[in-house]
Amino acid sequence: MSHQLPAILFLLPLFAAISMPVVCLKHRHWSHPISVAVLVVMVLVSVLNLYNVAHHGEVRYVFSGWTVPFGIEWVADGLASVILVLLSVLSLLGVVFAGPTSPKSLGGRIVHYYILILLLISALTGIVFSRDLFNLFVFLEVAAISSYGLVGVAGGRALFAAFRYLILGTLGASFYLLGVSYLYAVTGTLNMADLADKIPLLLDSKAVVAGLLFMFIGLGIKMALVPFHVWMPAAYTYAPDSVSPVLASLVTKVALLAWVRIIYWVLNASIAIYDIPILLLVAVLGSLAAVIGASLALAQRDLKMMFAYGGISHIGIILIGIGQGNQTGFVGGIFYLLNDAVMQAALFFLAGVAFCHYKVRTIEDIGRVGKQAPWLTGSLIVMALGMIGLPPTGGFFGKWQIILGAIEAGSYVSVAAVLLSTLLTLAYFVKLFEAIFRQTSAPLDVKFGEIPLSFKLTLGVTSAAIMILGLFSSPIVQMLLNHALPPGL
Amino acid sequence: MIRPHDSIIVQTLGRFLIPVVQIFGLYVLFFGQYGPGGGFVGGVILGTGMILSVLIFGHDASRSQFVKNVLHGDGVGMLIYAGVGGLCMIGGGEFLNYANLEIPGLETASRRSLGIVLTQIGVAIDVAVTAVSIVFSLSAEEIMEDSING
Repeated sequence: MSHQLPAILFLLPLFAAISMPVVCLKHRHWSHPISVAVLVVMVLVSVLNLYNVAHHGEVRYVFSGWTVPFGIEWVADGLASVILVLLSVLSLLGVVFAGPTSPKSLGGRIVHYYILILLLISALTGIVFSRDLFNLFVFLEVAAISSYGLVGVAGGRALFAAFRYLILGTLGASFYLLGVSYLYAVTGTLNMADLADKIPLLLDSKAVVAGLLFMFIGLGIKMALVPFHVWMPAAYTYAPDSVSPVLASLVTKVALLAWVRIIYWVLNASIAIYDIPILLLVAVLGSLAAVIGASLALAQRDLKMMFAYGGISHIGIILIGIGQGNQTGFVGGIFYLLNDAVMQAALFFLAGVAFCHYKVRTIEDIGRVGKQAPWLTGSLIVMALGMIGLPPTGGFFGKWQIILGAIEAGSYVSVAAVLLSTLLTLAYFVKLFEAIFRQTSAPLDVKFGEIPLSFKLTLGVTSAAIMILGLFSSPIVQMLLNHALPPGL
Repeated sequence: MIRPHDSIIVQTLGRFLIPVVQIFGLYVLFFGQYGPGGGFVGGVILGTGMILSVLIFGHDASRSQFVKNVLHGDGVGMLIYAGVGGLCMIGGGEFLNYANLEIPGLETASRRSLGIVLTQIGVAIDVAVTAVSIVFSLSAEEIMEDSING
């Protein structure tokens, strides 16, 4: 039974998504409880899978029972299993959060929303597990197409953002596919383990170098790496409030994970292409993203826009950790990825609550309801601690590990980039808190009722998770060190 | 909104051609076992036949009623596909490993053959429905919304 777990994890949301149009044809309000139930089961199965992988080693699964270089191989290793737990918990929270907000913010298209979000979750599962470059492309496309649909599901202004996302996302997917076809033309294989044997001997081939470059650009667009990030803030800002937490916390992080897979599992990470070490490239791009993203966040007035740029800078910080080429940096990067996914979900939940319940969108306006919104302000403080990276939260330990890794690798520019982006993050949260606590604008004299239970639940759980990831950082980091390291690091 | 075509030649030829197109679609679908063909191509041809009937006889004709009902089948094809895969998993094999399709009285080779036919039928249904729904959503957005939201 346990060898089927990766496929079961993928099929649970897929089955739910494709039976939704039939089941919910007459009873549209069933879609919410069904999705929640399926995702609860998925959380349990993913925890079981993590336990199984940690105790009995990685699970290899080849679809249709083919032999390895020919069939599509999925591997549930430590890294994939940890990410899957994160993915299923955050999607469950996202769907729980969507309950009361969805009818209004989705313009009545409730069933569409649940179908697309379950499809998105199953596609992300596929990306995390897949060890086949073309299969990875298919799931990237499924995830992307459901995200375009989700961003534009409510119509109106979001349609423009969704269309721009569609154009750039398709460009990214095309670049990736072009890269895969170059590699396939040269090596004749798509399996990652098989490619890992063949590519190091072929680095003189211009086709391989061009293919890798195309793949990196394609995935760079998908993960909103800095020169290619323009689609991301608008898409996440104008997406319905019940959509943006799941998109912001998961889609870019999973694309980043695919990049990590290719760098460490397909390429030997220490190789240099035309005398440029690829890890140096990763660290430099990460440093640029960390600083530029945070500076752009400082210039925003819209809450969601600010958080989206914050997410761009955190992608950079994760890449700095990944790019150091030592165990400390890698584990720090992955641990920061976990934290960042939780923090992004939390921030977009907060922005969603602020808009759905208090009808505020900008930093000035949030100051006017601050006194009346204890849950909002309380969880915002925890999230700010996490985003800035102050000690009791997971953000601190992630950044700490990354900085230790960078010092170990002697890359002081990376250290400076992490610190600079931390300062800029501090600056934009100070801006936010100044608006709340200094009360420069007159408070609204509208009475707001108690916020719904599901809002309290999602804000509470994510804020608690930010703290718990910090308090239990050493066992988590130890587990990542034991199970999630790439071969040869 | 698609109105019926006003040419008697098109109407008469359509009445004759559409069944032929559908039969050819089924032929391509099942011929995929032995040669070029299969679920995707067969589904496209089946879908084209249905689109043709809507284009010729109009959206409101009684002949197009079937096509409108077909739209509710979105997801059924995927259910068949994933269901066959799931049966293989219940049989103890990997997803879509047709050798583990537990049907008594069949040898492994026949199981594989049957499994592929079933999944291809699922693919064909989904492709046909998608083709029809693209045409409907391009021609009349309100109708599409109504038929999905009930």
